[in-house]
Amino acid sequence: MARQKILVVDDDPDLVRALRLRLRANNFEVATATDGYTAIAAAQKERPSLIILDLGLPVGDGFVVLDRLQSIDALSSIPIIVLSARDPQSNEERALKAGAAAFFQKPADNDELMNVIRVSLAPGQQQMAPWPS
Amino acid sequence: MDQPTTQVLLIEDNPGDADLVRLRLVEGKTPVNVNCVNRLSEGLAALSKESPSVVLLDLNLPDSHGAETFRRVLEHSPNVPVVVLSGQDDEALAAKAIHQGAQDYLIKGNISSKHLERAIRYAVERQALLRALEITQKQQLEFKNQFLSHVSHELRTPLTCIHQYVTLLLDGLAGPIAPDQGDHLKTVLKSVNQLHAMIRDLLEATRAESGKLRVESRCIALGELLHQTAAMLRPTANEKQIGLEIALDQRLPLVLADPDRILEVLINLVDNAIKFTPPEGAVMLQASMVDADPSSVYVAVSDTGRGVTPEAKTLIFERLYQDGDSIDNNRSGLGLGLFICKEIVKLHQGRIWVSSEPGQGSTFTFTLPVYSLAKLLTPVVTYQNQLRPSFVLVCVELTPLTSPPRGNWKETWHQGLETLRHCVYLDKDLVLPPMGAAGASETFYVVASTDLQRSEVMTARIREQLERVVNLQSKCTVTISAVQIELPAANPGESLERQVQTLAESVSGMILKNMDRKQFSAPKAPGSN
Repeated sequence: MARQKILVVDDDPDLVRALRLRLRANNFEVATATDGYTAIAAAQKERPSLIILDLGLPVGDGFVVLDRLQSIDALSSIPIIVLSARDPQSNEERALKAGAAAFFQKPADNDELMNVIRVSLAPGQQQMAPWPS
Repeated sequence: MDQPTTQVLLIEDNPGDADLVRLRLVEGKTPVNVNCVNRLSEGLAALSKESPSVVLLDLNLPDSHGAETFRRVLEHSPNVPVVVLSGQDDEALAAKAIHQGAQDYLIKGNISSKHLERAIRYAVERQALLRALEITQKQQLEFKNQFLSHVSHELRTPLTCIHQYVTLLLDGLAGPIAPDQGDHLKTVLKSVNQLHAMIRDLLEATRAESGKLRVESRCIALGELLHQTAAMLRPTANEKQIGLEIALDQRLPLVLADPDRILEVLINLVDNAIKFTPPEGAVMLQASMVDADPSSVYVAVSDTGRGVTPEAKTLIFERLYQDGDSIDNNRSGLGLGLFICKEIVKLHQGRIWVSSEPGQGSTFTFTLPVYSLAKLLTPVVTYQNQLRPSFVLVCVELTPLTSPPRGNWKETWHQGLETLRHCVYLDKDLVLPPMGAAGASETFYVVASTDLQRSEVMTARIREQLERVVNLQSKCTVTISAVQIELPAANPGESLERQVQTLAESVSGMILKNMDRKQFSAPKAPGSN
């Protein structure tokens, strides 16, 4: 099976490098972007299976990226995990409402992050569950 | 120079007094416009329509008397300056109003126009100053909170980078490392975690101060939390060769508390105890009942450290308090831990204190309310001193679609619970605190003062509202059911208290049965009711 691709978006290149190493070690292919504009371009070009997204980004912050990705049909089903230093009390709900699958505050626990990445990539995650009648 | 017209609202029921005050006002040099009413209700109505420069208030009116009159004006219009008009015989009352926030008082029959004019001018000026001060204070607090939140964010960014690279090295993802190098990296990681905890405390303390600390109370057993705390801190205690013991009262009742928050308090207290106890000492975690106070559980953390001085006892729970000569003073922290503990305990309607003899160790004790279903039910299930006629138990179950759940499960069920709370009548229905520690699935119960047929409206509303919660459907299934609560006929002359108790016991019995059913039977297929 081909390795799944993850797009890492963060304006701190050092952190991007570390995440790339860790994700590769976990058998993922990694694409990266360091601002909001290139993040959307990279998503369109690379068609990743999952996106790890920072909120404080230059050229269109994380919420702009979330909105943009949701509005593009071909990209709207890619699960997005927000990884941000911002306070979850005021940003988590907003991010989830904007379509994020999960919110992690930096620094995040590596095992938990990997776990949620695996769950989000598991087959059958994309379609909505039927509502009980 | 043209002076602006002073708008005066005169609330005075005695026509003679009113005319006299009006006359004195008109005699003055300042242009005034007087609106005179003779009842408090009319005064409050006038205050709703317009905002006068000043209120001249007689305290004894046909529809309100004494201090109450001023209190109601203050409550209605806290920003309008009030000058109390008092008789010779109730000057003490007027002085009391000053204490509560009135700007001045004047003795009727003793008022000159000059005197009155000056009293009004000063009242207006002072009120404006007070208002400006209040706004400045609010802005300062807001600025401080924003600043701290910004700092916490900025500190997290480089910390995340350090954390990532240290764990990369430790996990061997950048090549093999020698054992002693691994030890050094573990030391770095420990410091990173300490720094992380401090940043969290900083934000937590800011939240506590601005009243934004959130507490989601559940009905829980404390024993588990005590064991969890001990398990987390045993490695630290072992390192210093400090014994860590737990003593639990065998008949400890359930308490109403937020398990995450109380765990935070316990970890803070035990961590402190270990920090201030010399090697080979002991730290004891205790939970017990006290005969004199049956509605609380007492949780105590005691150590064999050098104790707390009498002067420090009162200061120790204040923000940024630092112990002068801590044993471990290279790692004394920010001095926010006990402040956060105090704020969390306060939000649980509990108390926290320390008792200590210097050299004999110290004991930090806090109280938590015992969970009493009858007490929670009383205000909603009784009406005019009688038990309402019929009750339904509504059960709403949220089961995550995946394991582990997608997104933040706590946030998900919390949203569900909040939605549920908006679907009930606050005066006759009660959303019960969730039972037990937060688990893989969440079941919420509502005791509704209605019958089974009418409860369908409520369950339909709950379903409709939950469907509107964004993303809920992609994370969990929702099962809603409703059961009539069967009550034994009340014995004639049975007290209301006893009847509520019987209802509470029935509800508890039904919930326990439901929990057992879930525990022992295979999970139901999603979608079945």
